[in-house]
Amino acid sequence: MKYFIMILQISILFLFNFIGQLIQDYFSLSIPGSLIGMLLLFSMLMLKIIPLESIQGGIDILLRDIPFFFIPVSVGVIQYLSFFYGKGAFTILLVIVSTFLVISISGIVTNFILKKEEKSYE
Amino acid sequence: MNNVITGIIAVAATFLLYRGSKRIYMYKPSSFTLPIFLSTSSIVILMLLTGISYETYMIGGRWLDFFLGPIVVSLAVPLYREIKLIKKYAGAITIGIFAGSLTGVITGIAGAKLFGFERWVSETIASKSVTAPIAIRITETAGGNISLTAVFVTIAGISGAMFGPVILKMCRIHHPVAKGLSIGTASHAIGTAKVLENSQMEGAVSALSMTVSAVIVSFLAPIFLSIM
Repeated sequence: MKYFIMILQISILFLFNFIGQLIQDYFSLSIPGSLIGMLLLFSMLMLKIIPLESIQGGIDILLRDIPFFFIPVSVGVIQYLSFFYGKGAFTILLVIVSTFLVISISGIVTNFILKKEEKSYE
Repeated sequence: MNNVITGIIAVAATFLLYRGSKRIYMYKPSSFTLPIFLSTSSIVILMLLTGISYETYMIGGRWLDFFLGPIVVSLAVPLYREIKLIKKYAGAITIGIFAGSLTGVITGIAGAKLFGFERWVSETIASKSVTAPIAIRITETAGGNISLTAVFVTIAGISGAMFGPVILKMCRIHHPVAKGLSIGTASHAIGTAKVLENSQMEGAVSALSMTVSAVIVSFLAPIFLSIM
């Protein structure tokens, strides 16, 4: 029974993803259906149409192991090994350096503003 | 029938390697034992050694891909749980995400130019910080290579999840909002999965950041591609 409920709770995610995709297609939006689905579920939670207690069990199980589902996409790198053997290798370096810059700059900016805000509260 | 068996074997092997990686990470947590990195690289090495093709692996791999959309939907839950906190810091969060998105687009394009790559590389790399479905769409509009974009997105995700915590420590950033925000902005869902380990709060801010940055980058990338 416990597993049955969990499967139902996870099915809700598929349903919202599907609705999100329908909306994306219908209005030909550039925002992906999954993000639309997330915003829809979020609104349903905020409006208390869907109580958190009714879905959180299964979702929390899924949230713990998100990386598992990203493995096949990541394995896709294997198709580009020949591109990365040559000059393409620099693109990997570039992506990594740019990612590190995004992390440090957004972190520093946010931290700076947070500290300033906290000071002005005092 | 044969395909079903191949698929089941691929998923089962992926699951076992993932569980194994998770256990290793528990005993020896470090950037290089991060489960997504350890399990992906061991599968790639296994495939190269045994000669199993990507198409064969993906017979089962595709089943896991079906979960990617619903997983993004599931991030509504941590977001809802932490909404009070997000409202409280709304100003800082908005500016922080914008700063990060801008950095990603500009450094990506500038770097591709610096290394002397052709135009399509800039068009492919500009959107690499955001979640794959949006990155692909941005690249498609710009005229880059969409399957390579997916690879860049993955590298941005995994490298940020692996080394993000170290970088944040080096920059002396300890506030959970700033930590979740920067990793979500740089490394989308893969980064979010990593920071969810630390706390629901960081996970929520990260989920929000990957969503907002995706929207911001879809505006910024075409602008900077046309002026740079």
